[in-house]
Amino acid sequence: MVIVLVAMVVLGFCVILHQLFRIQIVQGAEYQEYALNQQLRSTRIGAQRGAIYDTNGKTLAKSATVWSVCIAPANIKDNADRQAAVSDILVQTLGLERDFVQGKLERTNSLYEVVKTRVEKPQADELMEKVIDNGLSGAIFLEEDTRRYYPYENFASTVLGFVNAENRGAYGLESYYDKVLSGTPGRTVSLRDSKGVTMPMQYEQTEPAKDGNSLVLTIDEKIQHYLEKNLEMGVAEHKVGNRAVGIVMDPKTGAVLAMSTKPDFDPNNPNEIYDPNVKAELEELNTAENQEQYQQALWEAQNAQWRNKAISDPYEPGSVFKIVTASGALESGVIDETSTFYCQGWVEVAGKARYCWVWNSQHQGHGQQNIADAIKNSCNPAFIDIGQRMGAQLFSQYFSNFGLTEPTGIDLPGEAGSIYYTANQMGIAELSSAAFGQTFKVTPIQMITAACAAINGGQLMQPYVVKQIIDPDGNVVSNTTPQVKRQVISEDISEQIRGYLELVVQEGSGKSAQIPGYRVGGKTGTSEKMERLENGEWNDKNILSFFGFAPVDDPQVACLVMLDEPDIYNAYGSTIAAPIVGSILADVLPYMGIEPQFTEEELEAVATQTPLVLDKDIHEAESILRIAGLKSRILGNGTKVLKQVPGYMEPIPKDSTVVLYTEEEAEGGTVLVPDVVGMNGAQANQAIINAGLNISITGTGIEGSYSIVKSQTPQAGTEVESGTVITVEFTDSTLGG
Amino acid sequence: MELAREAGFARKKKRIKAEKGAMDLTFLVLVMSLLAIGLIMLFSASYAYAYYHDGDSFYYIKRQLVFAIVGVVAMLIVSRIDYHILHRFALLLFGVTIFLLVTVLFFHTRGDAKRWIPLPGGMTFQPSEVAKFTIVVVFAHLISINYNKMKNPRYGLYPFLIILGATALLMIAEPHLSGTILILAIGFVMMFVGGTNVRWFVLGVTALAVMVIILAFVPGVVDYAKSRLVYWINPWDDAQGKGFQTIQSLYAIGSGGLMGVGIGNSRQKHLYLPEPQNDFIFAVVCEELGFVGAAIIILIFVLLIWRGYVIAMRCRDRFGSMLAVGLTTQVGVQTILNIMVVSNTIPNTGISLPFFSYGGTALCMLLAQMGFVLAVSRQAAVEKE
Repeated sequence: MVIVLVAMVVLGFCVILHQLFRIQIVQGAEYQEYALNQQLRSTRIGAQRGAIYDTNGKTLAKSATVWSVCIAPANIKDNADRQAAVSDILVQTLGLERDFVQGKLERTNSLYEVVKTRVEKPQADELMEKVIDNGLSGAIFLEEDTRRYYPYENFASTVLGFVNAENRGAYGLESYYDKVLSGTPGRTVSLRDSKGVTMPMQYEQTEPAKDGNSLVLTIDEKIQHYLEKNLEMGVAEHKVGNRAVGIVMDPKTGAVLAMSTKPDFDPNNPNEIYDPNVKAELEELNTAENQEQYQQALWEAQNAQWRNKAISDPYEPGSVFKIVTASGALESGVIDETSTFYCQGWVEVAGKARYCWVWNSQHQGHGQQNIADAIKNSCNPAFIDIGQRMGAQLFSQYFSNFGLTEPTGIDLPGEAGSIYYTANQMGIAELSSAAFGQTFKVTPIQMITAACAAINGGQLMQPYVVKQIIDPDGNVVSNTTPQVKRQVISEDISEQIRGYLELVVQEGSGKSAQIPGYRVGGKTGTSEKMERLENGEWNDKNILSFFGFAPVDDPQVACLVMLDEPDIYNAYGSTIAAPIVGSILADVLPYMGIEPQFTEEELEAVATQTPLVLDKDIHEAESILRIAGLKSRILGNGTKVLKQVPGYMEPIPKDSTVVLYTEEEAEGGTVLVPDVVGMNGAQANQAIINAGLNISITGTGIEGSYSIVKSQTPQAGTEVESGTVITVEFTDSTLGG
Repeated sequence: MELAREAGFARKKKRIKAEKGAMDLTFLVLVMSLLAIGLIMLFSASYAYAYYHDGDSFYYIKRQLVFAIVGVVAMLIVSRIDYHILHRFALLLFGVTIFLLVTVLFFHTRGDAKRWIPLPGGMTFQPSEVAKFTIVVVFAHLISINYNKMKNPRYGLYPFLIILGATALLMIAEPHLSGTILILAIGFVMMFVGGTNVRWFVLGVTALAVMVIILAFVPGVVDYAKSRLVYWINPWDDAQGKGFQTIQSLYAIGSGGLMGVGIGNSRQKHLYLPEPQNDFIFAVVCEELGFVGAAIIILIFVLLIWRGYVIAMRCRDRFGSMLAVGLTTQVGVQTILNIMVVSNTIPNTGISLPFFSYGGTALCMLLAQMGFVLAVSRQAAVEKE
């Protein structure tokens, strides 16, 4: 009996041993996988996105850690109290809608529901404190993420671009260098108990995140600021309809020192529409029945404001292109400095008369000109002649050599190519127009790069925006070295061109770009759009541009400004784009450490008379005053000069400041005259300048250190307008006066 | 072993009725080994669950340790008393057990089962635990006094069936199916060993088979059985519900592999496996110690049972012999059923693992019963050798 019993017991144990063997050894791996599947929780560790710095290390874009708040509805599915507690905490701390939270809580099979992204540290800390106090750490948890900040707001925004909600580059440099910037996210795989809490054991595998590298740009925050300030003002002055573009480039390297399209946007919040007119139009459209239309219009408006016109929008460069035609013609030997071109005001091409711009106002031509005159006069018949002398083949060859047949390859996304006739497609009419910059389209970056090649000694450079990539520890990963694409013209021809372009600014259409103390060269450009609109009407608006550079003998900086559809009746580039470039260069040159070198003539003119700038646009007024050797200070937020102090023809010393009122009652408009009687020259000068006034000196012994002020008009304490000239009479104290 | 024999031999010479031999050290060592391993594994299995539910990782091990000490003391005391006094208490014990089994039906302590009688101080008492012991004692008593008449159904079958039937019915009423199965198994084994005619067992098995076939034709029964068994055959049909515990247990056992994840390192005990300190503790054992560790523990159980039967065979009187058989069988059947449940060999039914599962009274009772086996071992029939 006992033997039977023992046999049964042994049989029983054999059955369980066999079963255990089957589960543990035969199917062990399978069960283990299932088990790990429910035990392991993989958490993403966001990689810190690299920063973007300007050339001097100023931060233009940086990332900061933020958190995503997640809940695990499955862990509290049968516990109404905990569900209510989770709901309360989320509603109170994060301001979420209760219905929204309830909806998430009802997904009771889910262990991972994101309820809010981009929560910043203080809020996240507050939340987790409550979560721990209420013992809900298995139900609410955080995931680390990063958020992008652009401290300078809408600064260089079309260049920088922005990131999307997933923190990936969506536009601009952020997009082009996304792989470099974003790094590699890491993972933590840890064991969690069924409530989602980490098990207290050493099983945790972390693959650390590799933070992204940072970009150091060639863009200089200061230069960019000067460019944007002047461009913004230009857009306002001339009611530019289709945005304005400005590029500042180092002509010797192709490094972009500043690039802007205005108006632009704030990359911290890129979806908002920043142009008030466009915004108002959209708001009007935003009604219940028009949603589809509204969304479409909104999308188009967003894309329009994000667009970097400097690289994405080809335009007809007009006369700025004459730099290229002239360079090619001189280099190929088709013409030389002695060649002459006759302008009778018009020329017949293929049976049709082409008029020179001068004909419109004077009904006569430029007459006999050499190449210098033709450039200075921006004479179209002369350039038609030059183009025809070159012929389509040669012209097209230089067009191509100057890099105008292909995108420049700048390190920005969305660069457009050019639109042009090839040599074979080009008839005499097309060739004649192309010679002075029409019938084809190039992008602003192509145009400035080609123009720089003409003035920098003949080298076509590769334009670039990123000069260095550094890793998170600050080590240099790579440097961009300036790259010469090809020698387009010789050094000598380039020097000639620089000389001709200086003449344009000294005597020709670019006068308003003059800066006393600097040798500035440049070329204006105007083109009529002459394109058929969608509604069938002709768009006869203009694109006005100016290319300027300085110093002429050794170009350090070049600048192209293009205004697309300015609202102006007589819109020639010379009248509006040139002074903007002049203002930009006047700001940039001293900043770059290029000292002004005044000619003797300029130095001799100690006193001058105030020129008339009333009713002028600010840029134009500034330009006039600058050329007259005066400084300007603007009061108010308008775009036209309503009042100037000192007034027209008032005598004023060189280097004084003329105050320009753009509003009738501008703040800081009146000041009290300080008492300077008894002061010496330096003291009196200082006191009057500090008060925002100008000084005019009379009397004897001004040079001597013993001179003191004997009298002043107006008297001390008088309330006068800012900029008023205070006449002080000196007397030599040693003469016993 | 040698010592025990010599000691017994020496005493026999002194006193002819020398009943006080040395206790069986092998059995004691096996019991203490299982107890030690059981306590360690209980701590390991319970601390995560205890921390989450009671905020104290030591909640279960502290209590179990106290009962273990009490139980070991009880075991040593019981091993010294003359178990023959149980002869006198057998019927009284049966009466008390029946009373308790009826009483428990008036208490609703947990869920819809009426298995526990509440005691002062928040403790509970499970009459089924007593019932197992009672059946062993009563059967041993009846077998020893009716030894020669066991082939006669009047003595060898009917009394047993009546006692077993009454107890089983009351337990089913609780309902406590696993306890009922256990008691029936112990009862039948004792009858078998005690000399009940084998044909009754053949008849019983046949009757059972016929009953099952008849039941299968009663409408609804098959569906009910299916619904109970479907989660045994494929627990994944309701992975989040009825199959959950089984699945989690299989995950734990499977994760152990050959050598296990190491003691203390079970992952399934972290709130995946429900109540890992109770019936499913062996799953955690398998996960932490692997197939090798589980097999060693099973081997110790086998040795314990083998030794229990050896003690029974060596005992000079039939009562002691049957007592040892019953108590040893109880441990054996309970162990086999528990591990079969844990490994999903049979459907899930609440049955605990001796020496391992958490439960104070059960552990005390178990150790006291092992004390009786030790007491029987002192009556070793050494003169046979």
